[in-house]
Amino acid sequence: MKFFTALKTALGMAPGCEEVNEFLAEYVEGSLDEKTQKQFEEHLGMCKCCDHYLDQYTSTIEMTKEAEADVAIPSELAEHTLAFLRKSDIFSQGSSSQTS
Amino acid sequence: MEPTKNQNPEKPIAPPDRGDLVTTTAEGAAGPISLDALMAGDEKAFEQLVIQESPRLFRVIVRIIRDDDEAESILQETFLQAYQRIHTFRRESKLTTWLYAIGINLARASLRKSRRLSSLEDQEVERMQPEFNRGMFVETPAVWDPARVTELSDRRQLVRKGIEQLPEDYKTVVILRDIEEYSTDEVAKMLGISSGAVRVRLHRARGALRKLLDPHMRRLPEA
Repeated sequence: MKFFTALKTALGMAPGCEEVNEFLAEYVEGSLDEKTQKQFEEHLGMCKCCDHYLDQYTSTIEMTKEAEADVAIPSELAEHTLAFLRKSDIFSQGSSSQTS
Repeated sequence: MEPTKNQNPEKPIAPPDRGDLVTTTAEGAAGPISLDALMAGDEKAFEQLVIQESPRLFRVIVRIIRDDDEAESILQETFLQAYQRIHTFRRESKLTTWLYAIGINLARASLRKSRRLSSLEDQEVERMQPEFNRGMFVETPAVWDPARVTELSDRRQLVRKGIEQLPEDYKTVVILRDIEEYSTDEVAKMLGISSGAVRVRLHRARGALRKLLDPHMRRLPEA
């Protein structure tokens, strides 16, 4: 980490690694206020530890999404549910609604 | 001032723009659904809701319980309860958020009943977070090699196994936020917790997954 950033962190004027890490979800989500976001980016731009961690953090999110991308939907899923609802008598008797 | 890092990590998080029952109508595949009609117990409107929401709600449920047949049963029970309780919907959230909360609660109850428990405890998730001393990393995170786990099927299996190990509360947040891409506020409403609590769980879950993946993703030392 560069000297001035380290100094600002030490003086409590800029976020340190722990604070950056604590609010990483907010940072990734883009919900930090503009000033804090800028401070975070300044830190991330100069701290290899946080830079590596952020890369791994975002890679983890991407791999999570990729791993769960395909879920097979059973055929006639909604039709089965509608048949179940009609059978359970919550709909009025003799409903002639079509599901296709 | 030092130049800022031009990195935009926001992309994975932006929720998709999907039609929803916000106020009075919803634009589904089959056209708008009147919320007033739904609340009045209109069968046609409810059938349309079933057709519109079944696939996505099934995906959420099956990801929680990992059992297709059980997921379909829970889906049916969810719509049954929703129809019976629709008069209790107070229009303080999207109807789909309310509907999904019913489904998620049923899925989690089923998990507890069947005792298909995760292998990690909350305390272990806590221990899997990075350590700091005086605000700085104790250990520099190792560099990951993106090519290390090259086979997609292997990578998927590895990550799925990691998600499976997460405690239920953490897994559910990952499914809703990172996989289904609901907004933090929507997830909070679905789970009946604060948005802050969603972010904390999500952050710890991601940290734990990162830790589980770390040994498989590290760059190998050159021979």
